[in-house]
Amino acid sequence: MNPIQRRAPYLFLLPFLLLFALFFVFPFLYSLYLSFFVNQGGSNRFVGLENYLTAWQDYDFWYSIYRVAYYGVVQVSVMLFLALALALLLDSPFIKGKTLFRLIYFLPYAVPGVIAAIMWGFLYSPELNPLLHVFGILTGGKPLDLLSSDLVLYGIANMAVWAWTGYNMTIYFASLTSIPLELYEAAKLDGCSEWKMALYIKIPLLKPVIIMTAVLSIIGSLQLFNEPFILSNLTSIPSSFTPNMDIYNMAFAYGNFTYSATLSIILVLITFMASMLFMIATADGTIGGRKQVQSGKKTKRFASARIDEKREGVDT
Amino acid sequence: MVTSLQRKHHRNAAVQSASKTTVSMVLLLVMAFYFLLPLYWLLVSMTKSTEQLFSTPMLTFPDQLHFFSNLKWLHTHQGGVFWQWVVNSVIYAGGAALLGTLISAMAGYAIAMYTFRGKRPLFLAVLGSLMVPAAAMTIPIFLLVKALGLIDTYAGVILPMLVQPFGVYFMLVYIKETMPRELIDSGRVDGCSDFGIFFRIALAIIRPGLATLFLIIFISTWNNFFLPLVLLSKMELFPLTVGLQIWMANLNTAGAGEPLYPLILIGAFLSILPMLILFPLLRKYIVSGIAMGSIKS
Repeated sequence: MNPIQRRAPYLFLLPFLLLFALFFVFPFLYSLYLSFFVNQGGSNRFVGLENYLTAWQDYDFWYSIYRVAYYGVVQVSVMLFLALALALLLDSPFIKGKTLFRLIYFLPYAVPGVIAAIMWGFLYSPELNPLLHVFGILTGGKPLDLLSSDLVLYGIANMAVWAWTGYNMTIYFASLTSIPLELYEAAKLDGCSEWKMALYIKIPLLKPVIIMTAVLSIIGSLQLFNEPFILSNLTSIPSSFTPNMDIYNMAFAYGNFTYSATLSIILVLITFMASMLFMIATADGTIGGRKQVQSGKKTKRFASARIDEKREGVDT
Repeated sequence: MVTSLQRKHHRNAAVQSASKTTVSMVLLLVMAFYFLLPLYWLLVSMTKSTEQLFSTPMLTFPDQLHFFSNLKWLHTHQGGVFWQWVVNSVIYAGGAALLGTLISAMAGYAIAMYTFRGKRPLFLAVLGSLMVPAAAMTIPIFLLVKALGLIDTYAGVILPMLVQPFGVYFMLVYIKETMPRELIDSGRVDGCSDFGIFFRIALAIIRPGLATLFLIIFISTWNNFFLPLVLLSKMELFPLTVGLQIWMANLNTAGAGEPLYPLILIGAFLSILPMLILFPLLRKYIVSGIAMGSIKS
């Protein structure tokens, strides 16, 4: 190889690395740096870990983390249950018009979260949506108010279910179609019904994908911002409703950029640690690349077969 | 992506039961209504005046359509700033998708096709950054963009969106699968430079992958809200998402003038209309990208 050829990979990587350094690594380091300062009268004063001590005792911030974690568990379980049910139904032989249904379910993915939030926000207004008055039977005459402070979290959960069920269903459906057909043949010879096939073959095979979508969705809900921010125009959602709203508010309502940077750093670290924990918890050797799948269990093998194929060589 | 074998399996499995079919179809239809009704409501509502919005049945078109008067109002409100937002969204999403795809493809190509020092740490850095959602980085990026003096510029919005660790990973996997390494060697024998090989041979081979990634970045930038919200303060630079939320914010503000219900609704509908039309055509690409992304973790 001549020197130009040896330089080639670095030249290909150059634009990405420059931008990655500038808009990923550097912002993080800069925020980390800022988090050791407070701004007084226009100039930054070094305060060491003071911001972190403040954050440690910041009830609103930690409560917002608790709130989105709770929201994540509720929303993600409903969403993934629906996604799984729909994927299994569409994979069963009882259905006509599969392609059309898949398209319809996936359609909300094309709608920006902000537009979806505006749309649902209007639909949650009893003046615009008489259906909500029907629930008056249950609530003693008052219409169901999904914008009230007790229920707004569930209102947001519904938006997320609407937006992302089809997305997750798509992932499940794609995984189902990669299950080897011999398994079905064997199961049918054993007199397996479609229902049992779903219960004992399909769901176990999907388990790794289900865990993955669950944890990714929960991590995603830690970042919740758009929907509650939009709804705060229609109702009284506190400014520290979610961690990202709190961080936004610190920066733009209070102009406290250093503390906002501190909270951002904490949120990035929490998210990163949650992801790492998830990887360690679900790793059967497929992650990190060095180890190979040791377990001979079919469940693992089929679901991660394609992953391994792709991973092999990548890390060497 | 139902394979023909899969279909065969299903045909053979058809010990069809009428009751099971009925129950399944009912469940699927109920869910289809859940996904479609809000969009249908939006379609109906954008043809109504504010007064009709509150007085006519929510799911039926009004006797007197206000579609054109709403459209005209949208066209003239604040000097037709809505169309500027459309243009901005196209610039942000198009710019980020075009450059982001090329940059990701180059990086993925380097990792897939070459052996070089620092390859493994680089790969791990890309994987690691996949685990930090973009929203968590928004305020840090804002602080930096502010320090660089790029607030309220197109570049300030587009540049951060060019960093697509998922895109690099996606292209890396895609190139590994579709492009044989021997092509580089034969290209060299023919006297082609490494860049010539990439631009003349590789890009042609990986075109479907490029299209997929382009769409994924385009959609995520088009839908982005948090980042432009913090990076922009000038109305004429907003993308659609931020612009519509500003109208939304003034809905209940005293003294903000007439509530802009019809404008928000028709604006929201128009801003998703192109995607709703193109989605059936593009779905195949998007799904393959998502399925591949789902494998990443």
